[in-house]
Amino acid sequence: MTAVTGETPATGSGVLGQPLDSREDPQLLRGEATYVADIDLPCTAHMAILGSPVAHAKILSIETKAAEQLPGVLKVATAADFTDVMPLPCIWIPGGVESHFPPHPYGLPGARPVLTGDTVRHVGDPIAVVVAETPRQATAALAAIAVEYEPLPVVTRADEALAEGAPQLHETVPGNLNAYWTCGDKDRTDAALAEAEVTVELDLVNQRTINSPIEPRGAVGDYNAATGEYTLYASTQGPHNHRFLLSALVLGIPFNKLRVIAPTVGGSFGTKGYLYPDMALVLLLSKALGRPVKWVDTRTGLMNSTVQGRDHRQHVTLAGTRDGRITAVRCTSYANLGAYPSTIGPGVATALMGRSISGMYDIDAAFCEVYAAFTNTVSLGAQRGSGRAEAAFLMERLVDRYAGEIGMDPAAVRRKNLVPKEKFPYDNGLGWTYDSGNYQLNFDKAIELSGYADMPARKAEARTRGKRLGVGLATYVAICGVGPSTRMSQEGMLGGSWESANIRVHPTGEVTVIVGSASTGQSHGTVFAQVAADEFGIDPDTVQVLEGDTQKAPYGQGTYGSRSYSMAAPAVALTARKIKSKLIRAGAVFLGVPEDKVVYEGGRVYEEGNEQNTKTFAELATAMWYGWGLPAEIEPALDETTHFDPPDFNYPFGTHVAVVEIDELTGETEVVSYTAVDDAGHIGNPKIVLGQIEGSITHGLGQALMEAAVYDEQGLLISSDLTTYALPRAADVPLFTLDKTVTPSPHNPLGAKGAGEIATVPPAAAVVNAVVDALSDLGVQHIDMPLTPEKVWRRLRGEAQ
Amino acid sequence: MNGRPEQFTARPNELLVERLRDGLGLTGTKVGCDTGQCGTCVVRLDGRSVKSCLVLTVSAAGSEVATIEGETTRGGELSGLQEALRQEHGTQCGFCTPGMVMALGELVDSTAGGEAPTEPEIREWLTGNLCRCTGYHSVVRGVQRACAAARAEAPSGVGEPAVAASTTAGQEV
Repeated sequence: MTAVTGETPATGSGVLGQPLDSREDPQLLRGEATYVADIDLPCTAHMAILGSPVAHAKILSIETKAAEQLPGVLKVATAADFTDVMPLPCIWIPGGVESHFPPHPYGLPGARPVLTGDTVRHVGDPIAVVVAETPRQATAALAAIAVEYEPLPVVTRADEALAEGAPQLHETVPGNLNAYWTCGDKDRTDAALAEAEVTVELDLVNQRTINSPIEPRGAVGDYNAATGEYTLYASTQGPHNHRFLLSALVLGIPFNKLRVIAPTVGGSFGTKGYLYPDMALVLLLSKALGRPVKWVDTRTGLMNSTVQGRDHRQHVTLAGTRDGRITAVRCTSYANLGAYPSTIGPGVATALMGRSISGMYDIDAAFCEVYAAFTNTVSLGAQRGSGRAEAAFLMERLVDRYAGEIGMDPAAVRRKNLVPKEKFPYDNGLGWTYDSGNYQLNFDKAIELSGYADMPARKAEARTRGKRLGVGLATYVAICGVGPSTRMSQEGMLGGSWESANIRVHPTGEVTVIVGSASTGQSHGTVFAQVAADEFGIDPDTVQVLEGDTQKAPYGQGTYGSRSYSMAAPAVALTARKIKSKLIRAGAVFLGVPEDKVVYEGGRVYEEGNEQNTKTFAELATAMWYGWGLPAEIEPALDETTHFDPPDFNYPFGTHVAVVEIDELTGETEVVSYTAVDDAGHIGNPKIVLGQIEGSITHGLGQALMEAAVYDEQGLLISSDLTTYALPRAADVPLFTLDKTVTPSPHNPLGAKGAGEIATVPPAAAVVNAVVDALSDLGVQHIDMPLTPEKVWRRLRGEAQ
Repeated sequence: MNGRPEQFTARPNELLVERLRDGLGLTGTKVGCDTGQCGTCVVRLDGRSVKSCLVLTVSAAGSEVATIEGETTRGGELSGLQEALRQEHGTQCGFCTPGMVMALGELVDSTAGGEAPTEPEIREWLTGNLCRCTGYHSVVRGVQRACAAARAEAPSGVGEPAVAASTTAGQEV
């Protein structure tokens, strides 16, 4: 483990923290970046996947002969072709619970097979594949595959799947219960609830949503028979992880025979870190056919196969005093894992959600229990803000409900319960220890900036226009910087979670930084160059950044949970410091002075007190390349690597304020202003983080107002394309009012906290709180998301939920 | 096609986006949704932005087609709109970006001679293009910047035509 002392960032060249233009942008703006669908290897064949049209059935027979005869068809494959291929592993089994899946040869539980041969468990469950000369021929041939099904009863809700007599999904999982998971202190919480002056309760549905990166997933497999090596090009946010899982755990091939390349990736938001059958299939079929095999998903395919998010049904309770002091919070949640445990889905639904439920508040007793169940739906996984957003939603709804019950202003209740500054590091009693924070400063800034005090007047004015104005607050803490590997193992994560960086200083003084992380649109190339340039005191334009190819990059776990800037960037900084330390030692030789007289500053070394005796960074690089005159203890050249495993997570936080206007006639909700004050510690590039914050808020507004994965009683995903699944469009969002506070994390050398997705965490709660506020005089205490005009209109007419 | 004649035989059911990507290797135009919702496949047909996944290749015969590849030479200087989007970081993963540049180029061009579009007008124009990364704000700011730059550069001052057209129109035909 790397020692970390909570240093502040270096200020060698002053470029860190500056809003430099993204160097990735020109290529993207010209349409010249290569996404997986743009990869065109010679002799490529094209794969299409036959997904189940029914949600739950036994497969009685599969007839592929007719498809095999069709023009251009090269191969039709079913589960029978892959009997020696292992199922896709789930690597996050929530801590301390017994897995019901049979152990894997490497000790991991198996889950989804690459193709299903006996029982289909959700619409889209892959049954067969066709490889043909063209994508159209492959797709056309799917229709000629005849499958005979024996229907089985269907269940799509977690709570119903756990009821007696519910349809059973897996023989090895009686009662469909994958995990019963708890955190916090049940007895203490129950006692606090029993003794409380006031208790409030809510039943919440955190609806299932679909992440919807604009680029669907895709994969190209290329097997080289001469060398026995496989190359996978995939739309992935974790090429090293996919290499590890695929080679060792699924295909059973040596690790060093598989290379994974992430080209430019068109957004992910959590979904592209998961292992999917197609990744294995393109490799297996490339070997079988002796040609590269390419697969690119359709939008409907994506919606029926790529992991979905949220999906909890919860009963939540809060206890407090009459004067606004929260004494306990309790959550019972039914989480819908879908048909199979995805790569890390069970952990998202439990630890990421449950340990965060007390948010920014100093609460004496808290307890969360999660029943994670299998149903006939697409597997559950991460979604921008995953787990943390679900936690913030339940807590912030409860706080508003409590404020209403005791007749106190919701802002005053919140302020009264914020964790005091002097209590950090703060043990939240649910398993997280918050690293640092100044919650009062952050909260007050948001309240001030949003004009919260003016809301009564604005409400009155809105009524004169036939509008009901409501204001909603939401605060949050988002666990980020996943993480310390040992700590994650205690959470049940079967894998490390460190990051690494390699830096090579070339003989001409330019620098190459290579990281194990992989961007899905976060301008890593720009920001990591800033980190290295700042450390060295050199021009960032001389720093090249590489990532995304396992053959070239040092190992790393990938981009997820807003961790790249607080995990990979510190690895870059620490590696640069190793090189600087070496340059000081070598500088003593080159300057002819003792080491303690050598100063490294502003991209050069010089003799203390005699700045004329100096060598620039480029001169040092050349001298180290030659290696002349170096003593035996100093190796020539400058090439260092660091593996950064932090002492603990980091915990960004913030306060958001939504103001909505509801049209009395139509029930339409318009977000008329939105104020967000987030704290992500020290920020590397504010221009890039601004874009991530704005996008994150918009994503959260989408869940509040329009997004929902809707399954019918037969388990058919009704919202299976972008005509039926609503995403926020430009006209749906107002300009935001944004600001920040800066509380550095002591857990990495940059003082960084996660940033990328944190602002997705509170918007759903803020908007629902605002809408309930606008309707409170009608006796409305809660409305389930999404807040469609019809739903709100019915409440305006006094109809019950 | 981007100012050059192209001659080929198309299947009756071939979509324009298939011809661009698979037939002509112009992969800057993207496919994101298959139903005409996302706008990643927007190109300009006789100057008007269209979703090339909803256009049959045969119906484009005889038309001028402009794709992102025609906006600038490879590696060359960015157009005014592209430069403005760069300065505002109106992109993240970049997948929706070419379609946005093609759609917004028409807006910038069409308003070059008159009043700059208002923020709501820009948002309304953008409703045919989905972005999941940025929340659209930086894109809107980019269009505002592009319009302002075009007007500032106008030789006879604000309101004069033609200059914003330098963002794209010169290379369009």
